Amino acid sequence: MLVLTWVPAFLVLLILVGLFLRSRPILAEKPFFSLLMSSSWSPLRGDFGLLPFLMGTLWVTFIALALAVPVSLLTAVYLSEYAPRFAREFTKPIIDLLAGLPSVIYGVWGVLLVVPLVGRVIAPVFGVQSSGYSVLAGGIVLAIMIFPTIISVSLEVFSSIPDQMREASLSLGATKWETVRYVVLKKGLQGIIAAVVLGLSRAFGETMAVLMVVGNIARVPRSVFDAGYPLPALIANNYGEMMSVPFYDAALMLAAAVLLLVVLIFNVLARLILVRVNRRAA
Amino acid sequence: MKKNMSILGILAIAALIVFPLHGQKKEWKGGLTLSGAWALYPMAIKWGEEFSKVHPKVRVDVQAGGAGKGIVDALAGAVDFGMVSRGIHPIEVERGAFAIAVCKDAVVPTLSAKNPLLSRVQQTGLKKEAFIAVWITETAKTWGDILGIPDDKPIHVYTRSDACGAAETWAEFLGRRQEDLKGVGVYGDPGLAEAVRRDPLGLGFNNINYAYDAKSKKPVPGIAILPIDLDGNGKIDDAESFYQDREAVTAAIARGAYPSPPARDLYLVTKGRPQDPLVVEFLRWVLSEGQKFVPETGYIALPPEKLEEGLKKIESR
Repeated sequence: MLVLTWVPAFLVLLILVGLFLRSRPILAEKPFFSLLMSSSWSPLRGDFGLLPFLMGTLWVTFIALALAVPVSLLTAVYLSEYAPRFAREFTKPIIDLLAGLPSVIYGVWGVLLVVPLVGRVIAPVFGVQSSGYSVLAGGIVLAIMIFPTIISVSLEVFSSIPDQMREASLSLGATKWETVRYVVLKKGLQGIIAAVVLGLSRAFGETMAVLMVVGNIARVPRSVFDAGYPLPALIANNYGEMMSVPFYDAALMLAAAVLLLVVLIFNVLARLILVRVNRRAA
Repeated sequence: MKKNMSILGILAIAALIVFPLHGQKKEWKGGLTLSGAWALYPMAIKWGEEFSKVHPKVRVDVQAGGAGKGIVDALAGAVDFGMVSRGIHPIEVERGAFAIAVCKDAVVPTLSAKNPLLSRVQQTGLKKEAFIAVWITETAKTWGDILGIPDDKPIHVYTRSDACGAAETWAEFLGRRQEDLKGVGVYGDPGLAEAVRRDPLGLGFNNINYAYDAKSKKPVPGIAILPIDLDGNGKIDDAESFYQDREAVTAAIARGAYPSPPARDLYLVTKGRPQDPLVVEFLRWVLSEGQKFVPETGYIALPPEKLEEGLKKIESR
């Protein structure tokens, strides 16, 4: 059983090592950091700069988090603390349904609704010309995809907080909102962070929905209305060029390895924050 | 003795099964898989259906995904045929790509039917240099720039995000490669058509089977074809005006009035010379009986010499 517990960690390591081995041809040509920091992507000329894609991934993910976390948390708080029971029982299955929708449905909906919204409504408000295919559109679609994850895990966390705590706080004269702020959210912080990390992991990996709305232009985005090109979209779009251009397959393996590294780093950071929170609570 | 008798019996039964089949016409059965270019997808579906009508025990599965996916899948041995809508590169040949030309079609530039300058654009057309200024050098940013009039409405340029033959062929027409095409990258042929359809200032390109409606043979509602000003005289003469329906444009491609590129041969690619008899039979059928379905599906049939060449290529030992 101990061996079985080590299997997932071993698998991740195996995948990472495998990807780096397959990207050896291009790493032999250029050092890793120069590939990572270069923003010139022109495979036929031998330029495989991954910076635009790394920045594209980070932009889209952070926009999604900025949009999703406040809304999901407040929704979870409302459903858990304020809503009548039938509202909670009614909304929960709908949220679970949202979680199960295939990614490509979100992509098609994004192309039909979100892209024109960004291009014709949101961008003009800020005085910017945009076709609508932007990292903002990608962020909005991703945010909607990660709502259900964060909401359902947060709901579980809040329901695990004993009612006695809430009662104790109310009996001391706190208002409901103060109870929520100082007792429920504080006690549930660990779980909320875990929920956000889960949502983050889904956001990093989403490929199809994002590539349909994000514009796929290999340039570092300079504003939320610029088109971007996240790492998963790079791999999905250009999988077809692998056999046709020298070093392309090695470059795509490297992109996959970089994506895996980014996800690992964020997970480690989340772990560290959790440890900190734990220590303070204890 | 008993053992010998049973061995003899088995051999006799085996002989009875094998020998009668030797003289008969082989009943083909099995499965064939194709993947790759959106351009060839409708034709491959039609060929698959017709081949299955002749050989009911054969199942043909087709999936799209772009010419690049076709090459990768074929060279990896994941599918029997890769559908490729562009020329095969030397590095792909080195990696084992064996290509047979099966029919021809073209890429056409498209714009939205709601474009305010539509009638003007369709009267004057655009020269190749204008397309280069839009897609390659990005020196033309407004519709005024490419039409030579004072108008500052921006051009929303679209290209393909997936590795595909359409973009590679369009880029070849402009003297470059797909990665040099600028613009918002949209996934798939239908995706690009949709993006241009919904954007009045959009400018893109499509394979003729995605620019023209399959039933009505006219341009898809919402899309207009941008005529190419071939002789550069600033207007579309009768000789350059053949975009009103699919029949007209395919006839123009067949007689060479529409240049190649952006018209090009479409290929089926296998890994090395095909050995599987069913694969060889399908290819042979496509190059002979299958050709009669080519015009009705909206493609251009290859000249007999090219078909002969293809047949020789697969059958030579």
